[in-house]
Amino acid sequence: MPDPAATRRYLRKMLRGTLGVAIGAATAFAEFFYVLFGGIALAIPALRPPVFAGARALSEVERRRIEKYLGAENATDYTGRRAMTYLVPRCVIGLFSTGIFLLLGYGVVIGTYVAYQKAFGEWPGEGSLSDQIATVGLGVLLLFLSAQGLIGIATLERKLARRFFGPSKKEQLRRRVSELATSRAEVVEAVNGERRRIERDLHDGVQQRLVALGMLLGRARRTGDPDHASELLRQAHEESQRALEDLREVSWRVYPIALDSDGLHPALEALAERSGVPVNLRVDLPERPPAAIETVVYFVASEAVTNTIKHAAATRIDIEAERDGDRVRVRITDDGTGGARESGGGLSGLARRVAAADGEFTVDSPLGGPTVVTAVLPCE
Amino acid sequence: MRVILAEDSTLLREGLVRLLVEEGHDVVASVGDGEALLSTTAAYQPDVIVTDVRMPPTHTDEGLRAALEIRKRWPEIGVLVLSQYVEKRYAADLITGDGERVGYLLKDRVAQVGEFLDALDRVAAGGAAFDPEVVRRLLARTTHTDPLAKLTAREREVLEKMAQGHTNAGIAESLYVSQSAVEKHVNALFDKLGLANTAGYSRRVLAILRYLGS
Repeated sequence: MPDPAATRRYLRKMLRGTLGVAIGAATAFAEFFYVLFGGIALAIPALRPPVFAGARALSEVERRRIEKYLGAENATDYTGRRAMTYLVPRCVIGLFSTGIFLLLGYGVVIGTYVAYQKAFGEWPGEGSLSDQIATVGLGVLLLFLSAQGLIGIATLERKLARRFFGPSKKEQLRRRVSELATSRAEVVEAVNGERRRIERDLHDGVQQRLVALGMLLGRARRTGDPDHASELLRQAHEESQRALEDLREVSWRVYPIALDSDGLHPALEALAERSGVPVNLRVDLPERPPAAIETVVYFVASEAVTNTIKHAAATRIDIEAERDGDRVRVRITDDGTGGARESGGGLSGLARRVAAADGEFTVDSPLGGPTVVTAVLPCE
Repeated sequence: MRVILAEDSTLLREGLVRLLVEEGHDVVASVGDGEALLSTTAAYQPDVIVTDVRMPPTHTDEGLRAALEIRKRWPEIGVLVLSQYVEKRYAADLITGDGERVGYLLKDRVAQVGEFLDALDRVAAGGAAFDPEVVRRLLARTTHTDPLAKLTAREREVLEKMAQGHTNAGIAESLYVSQSAVEKHVNALFDKLGLANTAGYSRRVLAILRYLGS
């Protein structure tokens, strides 16, 4: 059972749209002549400004009509020249809609006439049953095609206006807000993912070592044999060193402090040194990007390298970071087995991180490799 | 006694094996995942198994699931679970059933070698061993309707020790009071908690724990 209020709303929208297209059909005539004569007038340089101004005025009428009747908001900051180029396809569409209305009118007239004859018993007259069916069938088909035509015209009008005028400020803001809401949720998710990873790192590395260390010391205390005890103590001492190394590793993964002090290049160098697979690094950044962007670039590289080492069986990795206009591009390429998916654990976290910084993130990884992970980040 | 170990960290596994061997136990197998734990337990029928909770492949609760399976299939085998965190749900899962020969320790407790070995002995002997931290967490819920709120400080101490699986003699020793004083406290708190006094100490622990964890 459809909701009656919704049905009413829908019908109102349809009526409003039809009215909008009808008005557009009327204005199309004026525009047609304007384009015709205005186009000729453009040959004379002195006449250009007033011609463009007139085109703008006409386009404003169209823009307001489309906003009011067809429910699409567009920007007002277009030039007269652009308005003129808009009017050309616009008046063609308008004339088409005139054609559709003429067809509709024709159908209504014929339909009324037939209904009138039927009421007074004069129809079908000499006509057979198949003629009747054909006439009614054609009428219904014509009605359907006209309705489809009107819907198509409305869509075309909206598309054309969007193309020539661009989205309105309000529309742009709406889009931006929804983008930000999405990326905010993604930031939270990315942070949570990182926290989970840190927790695992601490538990599977540092904590295990400390427990093992405690066990060694406990055993040393329990044994009655002094030689064995001193051997256990020696092992415990080594274990404590390893626990410290693990702790350093984890804290480095949590946040490479070199990023703050020395910047991206040294941090990436350190990353390359620590990698188990040979890393070839090329950094071409004449000036330091903002700290937040450096951090994202670093983590993209570090996570991509980690992923490669874990899954790709690669023999070499290339990291390139370079300036590209007002943006920074980082590209990590490996010669591994490929088949990496952006939806995979590590990479989806990166995608979110990059999205949060208004960047673009792509993973190109055909089966059999090579895998290319690219992030482009704005540097405003 | 004959022990099977399941722990995915090689480092800890080796350490535990050495420790147990030094203490004169017989480690018949040491494995790294739940599947292997089940198959070796079936093959060797040890006196007791010690297992980590998080193990491959999913690193969630393989060890615990294997432990529960073992309790179901071979109730005479003692089960001691080592966990990274206090998970009340795990404790509760382990306690259900006849509730003997069972222990639940925090992994860090292994570093307190004495306590760990003591817990292992208690489990193998048909008792229970719950980590002091687990018990503390279970006891921490004091509300107005909570019968625990009616206990005196001393009685709470006794209850905590009891819940860890200690006998009256053990409690007396660790609290430096006479055994008859402990018995007095035990009876008093049983009355307050509305529990019937039974002879088997592990049963009473589990009754209490179940009561606390419900």
